[in-house]
Order: sequence, then structure tokens, then C-alpha cells
Amino acid sequence: MLKYFTFRFLSIIPMLFVVTIIIFIGLQLTPGDPLTYLIPPELLASANFDLASYKKAMGLDAPLYVQFFRWFSGMLQGKLGYSLVDGTSIATMLGHRLPATLELAAAALIISSVLGIVLGLISSVRQNSAADYGNTVIGIIGISIPEFFLGIIAIQIFSIKLGWLPVGGRLDYGESGFLSLLKHVAMPALVLGFSLTAALMRYTRGTMLDVLGKDYVKTARSKGLPEWKVIVKHAFRNALMPVILLLCFRLPMLIGGTVIIESVFGWPGMGGMLLNAVSAKDYPVVMIATMLTAFMVLLASFLVDLLTALLDPRVRFD
Amino acid sequence: MNSESDLILKVDNLQTQFHLSRRVVKAVNGVSFQMKRGRTLGVVGESGCGKSVTAHSIVQLLPKMGRIVDGSITYYSSNGAVELSKLKRNGSEMRAIRGKEIGMIFQDPMASLNPVFTIGHQIAENITQHEKISRAAAMERAVEMLTMLGIPQASTRIKDYPHQFSGGMKQRAMIALAMVCNPKLLIADEPTTALDVTIQAQILELMKEMQHKYGTSIILITHNMGIVADMADDIAVMYMGRIVEFGTVRQVLGSPRHPYTRALLQSVPVLGIAKGERLKTIRGSTPDPSDMPEGCEFAPRCDFATKQCKTVPADTDLGGGHRVRCWNCMGGLTT
Ligand SMILES: Nc1ncnc2c1ncn2[C@@H]1O[C@H](COP(=O)(O)OP(=O)(O)OP(=O)(O)O)[C@@H](O)[C@H]1O
Ligand SMILES: [Mg+2]
Repeated sequence: MLKYFTFRFLSIIPMLFVVTIIIFIGLQLTPGDPLTYLIPPELLASANFDLASYKKAMGLDAPLYVQFFRWFSGMLQGKLGYSLVDGTSIATMLGHRLPATLELAAAALIISSVLGIVLGLISSVRQNSAADYGNTVIGIIGISIPEFFLGIIAIQIFSIKLGWLPVGGRLDYGESGFLSLLKHVAMPALVLGFSLTAALMRYTRGTMLDVLGKDYVKTARSKGLPEWKVIVKHAFRNALMPVILLLCFRLPMLIGGTVIIESVFGWPGMGGMLLNAVSAKDYPVVMIATMLTAFMVLLASFLVDLLTALLDPRVRFD
Repeated sequence: MNSESDLILKVDNLQTQFHLSRRVVKAVNGVSFQMKRGRTLGVVGESGCGKSVTAHSIVQLLPKMGRIVDGSITYYSSNGAVELSKLKRNGSEMRAIRGKEIGMIFQDPMASLNPVFTIGHQIAENITQHEKISRAAAMERAVEMLTMLGIPQASTRIKDYPHQFSGGMKQRAMIALAMVCNPKLLIADEPTTALDVTIQAQILELMKEMQHKYGTSIILITHNMGIVADMADDIAVMYMGRIVEFGTVRQVLGSPRHPYTRALLQSVPVLGIAKGERLKTIRGSTPDPSDMPEGCEFAPRCDFATKQCKTVPADTDLGGGHRVRCWNCMGGLTT
């Protein structure tokens, strides 16, 4: 099994390779040449400016595939390159921004999985109760209202009207405590994870209702087990796997969602960086940022496999 | 003969219904019977006649929409009589009886074991729920039980998951699970229908052995007349949620008095049946339980129906505990 998962993990690299090729080609297809942004137009227009030698110096004269391999091998060695716009090293930029995004995504993931699963469980056990209907309403809101809109409403209510939570940002100036961090991350994380919470809740409810009708649940009851044990141990343990699969499949959406949520809440993460880079055609930055997203998606699908194997005794690799 | 002390279970006028969104299914309509200790009661009848629902009613393991609407179920434990139908569905009193006093084997052994726990864990869980015993000691008992039921290398197989067991082995595991706490009463709902004939015979033999060893009373649900003849002491024949004939094996199989019982017996292939002779089938099919005929519910399919059958028949006691729910049982039935 270890062998299988080592292999499975290493296979992420060729997949990433393919993804980066696609991103690279996509960027080549978009109109505009980065040089037109880099070189002042006056200079470009002047007669004695040698564009060819300039390109050569930047390595832009080589065929596209050579450019690509240079870039890819550099990246594998940790040379992420520099921003075209202000020349800062991308590695430094990531060092500042990646932790913030990961923190936001992790907080959203934890909040929504706990909340979604617990509410879903309650809904399934108390089917057609007031709590179940309440959860259904939350679910519909979560699935149908766009996140940025929800974010704006949340800021209106909790920050501006009630003044409970900060409007945005990651930490207040001069503050560093965990509590301050929590205060800042709570609202963006909840908003970011809201649709995931709703999806998990609906899915947990459905899967649990299905499992609760199974004969082995009846067997568990026939042993005289208390109801909580029947539900949590015998039923939920079986419902858990499909729920975790859904969670992993939704992970990319959660990460993608950070781009918008970060700008709504002024969260200093990758999202803002990516938005700036796209509008400035700062393609080294765009490449790295999208590649990181792709990496997280691939990692999520790896986790799906790993967890499936760990949770389901029927899955074997031999 | 019917002194209360040797009774283990008394069911009186049990009525169980399913309240669906649009209609009410009356699955059990006034079932009454008594069971004596150490005996086996065979319950037979066509598919859908309410055998499983009766069994599930006794231990209150009905689906959510299922409700006992009337009647009583009295279980005679060593500490006196308990009125099971009055207990809270998953309350502690009901749970103390489930698994410990009354063991259940369900109709589909393949689906009755939890796929994510080992066989050993699932059997041992029944013991640890009812007795103060260490996990290891419970496992030990589970191994003993499986060995007794003929599972080779039980001490290693106990670590297997259900999908690693064959159908027959799963069925043995279910029997082990149901019997590991030595219940006084075992309810086995078609424990062998899913198995091939040789394994079927083995399993039944094992159940008999266990019964001898522990003096267990067994309710055996089946639609196989051969199994009943072989295993049971008493027989209850069910039709449309009612017991239409009840008595000892000798009474019911030897001199069946209800037309339905007779038809049932004639529809069973017997070894040595003359070549070319055709098996009888019961004409018509079971009516929908939400749409009962008036009077005797078997009348529309009965070859002997008379005008009187338009009124609800009474139970007629033929003596010696043999009772029949038919107007014409006193004679006049010729086949
Ligand atoms: N969950 C349920 N919801 C609605 N009706 C049900 C439900 N379970 C059983 N019934 C109905 O109750 C009646 C009796 O069913 P039961 O399962 O007791 O039959 P059975 O005698 O065990 O048949 P079989 O030999 O096929 O197992 C049937 O008409 C069935 O349709
Ligand atoms: Mg049945």
C-alpha cells in the first residue's frame, strides 16, 4: 500500500507538467506582449532601440518550447522567477501571501466540515423536524447566494452595524495574538466555507438517511446498543466515506473561492496577488499562482485516494 | 398444560401498521400465539403475509413508519413478565432485552453485517454491551462461538471483514452474533433462504445443536414447508397479516384444516412425486394489504368458499391447541 501511494504521489509531477503546458499555451494565446508593458513606449519607438537584442537578453528569442523548459526546470529547482511589473522575487511574494491564503482556506475547511457534517447528522436523525427544515433553508441560501454578496452582507451586519468583528485584514497593526487572528479570520472563513457547509450538510443528510435504512444498522440495534452508538459508530462510519469524497472534490472550489473572498475582506493572500498579476499581464506570477492552485487540486485528489483506502476495508492494493 | 411458568412469549391480538404518506398498510392484523420454553415455532406463509413484520414488532425494530397500534407482547424473563409493546422503542429496558434475552437473525445475512468492522468486533460488541467483560475476553468468546459453528481457523478469520466471508460464513457469523450472549429466545427470519441446499441443512443442524445445548426457544420464519417439518414443534400459518392455522407439527401437517394450509402443502414438491404429476398452485395472488376483501380474506382464492365466508371467520379451537380461522374447518373439505 505504501508503494502504491508513493507512486501515486510522484505521479502528481507529470500531471503538473501537463497542467503547466496548458497554462503556458493559454498565456501565449492571450493578446499582448509582456515587453510592451515592460519597456516604456518612447524607448520602444526610438530608432536606435534594438528590440532583438533585448529579447535575446531576456531569453524571449528562443522557440517557445525552449522557453517553457527553461521555465519549468527552473521552477523545479525552486527558481520561481521575478515579477515583470516590479521585479520582486516571486518566492518572496509567495512567502508573504501563501500562508495567509492557506490559513483562510484551512479555517474555512475546518469550520465547514464540522458544521456541515454535524448539521447534516442532526437533519438525518431528526428527519422532517423543525431543525431539519431550518437546515434545508440554510442549505438553499448557501447554494444559491454568491459568496461575495454574502460577504458584503456579513460585513454590513457584523462589522458595521454590530461592530463585533473587524471589517477586513488579517491582523491589526501591532497585534499578533491568536485571538486577534481568530477575530479576523472568522467571518471570511465562514463566508468562504458557506456553500461547502451547505453542500456537506445536504450530502451528509442524504447519505445518512440511506445508511440508516440498511440492515446492518438494524443488526446494531438488535444487539441493544444505545442509539448514539448506532448512529455515530455504525451508521456514520459508513456515511463518512462518501462525505469525505465530496469534501475533497469541493476543495478546489474552496481554494478558487479565496480569490474573491480575499478581495472582499482585504485579506492579504494569493487572491489579490493573482488579480493584480492578471490585469497587469504579469505572466510569471500568473503561471506560478495558477500552478500552485493546480498542485492543490492534484493533492486533493491524492488525498481522496488515500482516505478511501484508509477508511474502506474493501479497498486493497495487491 | 399452559401454565404460565413455561411460557416464554405471549403475543395477543398484535396489530402493526405502516403509516405511509398516502395510505396505511395494515401488515399485521391481530396475531395471537403463545410460545413455550425450549420449543421451536415455525412461522410459514406466502411472501408479504407479515412474518417479518411480526418478528420485528416483538423486538420493536420496525422501520420508522411502522407502528404497533394494538395488542400486547409479553416476554417472560427470569425476573418476571415484561410488556414489550409498551416499552420505549430504543429505551434502556428494550435495549437490555435485545441481544441479551432475545437474539435476532435477519432475512438477508449479506446485508446484515457492517462492512467497515471486523466480524470479531461485531460479534464481541454484543457481549461487551451486556456484560462486564474485557475486549479480549469477548473476542475469545466470539472465536469459540465461530469454532462451534464450524468456521475453520476462527481465531484468524475473526479479523476478517464481512466482504472476505462467503455467504454461508456470513450466515454463521450472524448466528454467532445473535447467539453469543445465550439469548433465551432466538428469532430467525428466513435464516437460510439465501444459501444453497447443503449449507442450508448444515446451518439448520447447527441451530438445532445450539438449541439443545442452551435450551433456546426459537421462532423460525420460513416459507419452506420442508424446513418447518424438520425443525419446528409448533407451526403458525400466516395469511394476510393473520394466523389462519396454529398447532403442533403433527396437527398442522398431519391434518391441516385450513384450505390455505392445504393448498400450501400441495404446492410443495415432495421427493418421489410421480412423474408428470403437476404441483398445485394457489390460484389468484395475495391481495394488497391496503385493500382487504370483506369477511374471510382467503375466500376469493378458496375452492370451498360459501356464503358464510362473507363474514369474518372466528377462531375455532379443535382441541389440543389446534386452532383454525375458517368457517368450514369442521369438515366438508375434500380435495
Ligand atoms: N417498511 C415498510 N413500509 C411499508 N410497508 C411495509 C414495510 N415493510 C413491510 N411492509 C408491508 O407489510 C406486509 C408484510 O411484510 P413482511 O415483510 O412481514 O412480509 P413477509 O411475510 O416477511 O414476506 P417475505 O416472505 O417476502 O419476507 C407487506 O405487505 C409489506 O408490503
Ligand atoms: Mg420477511
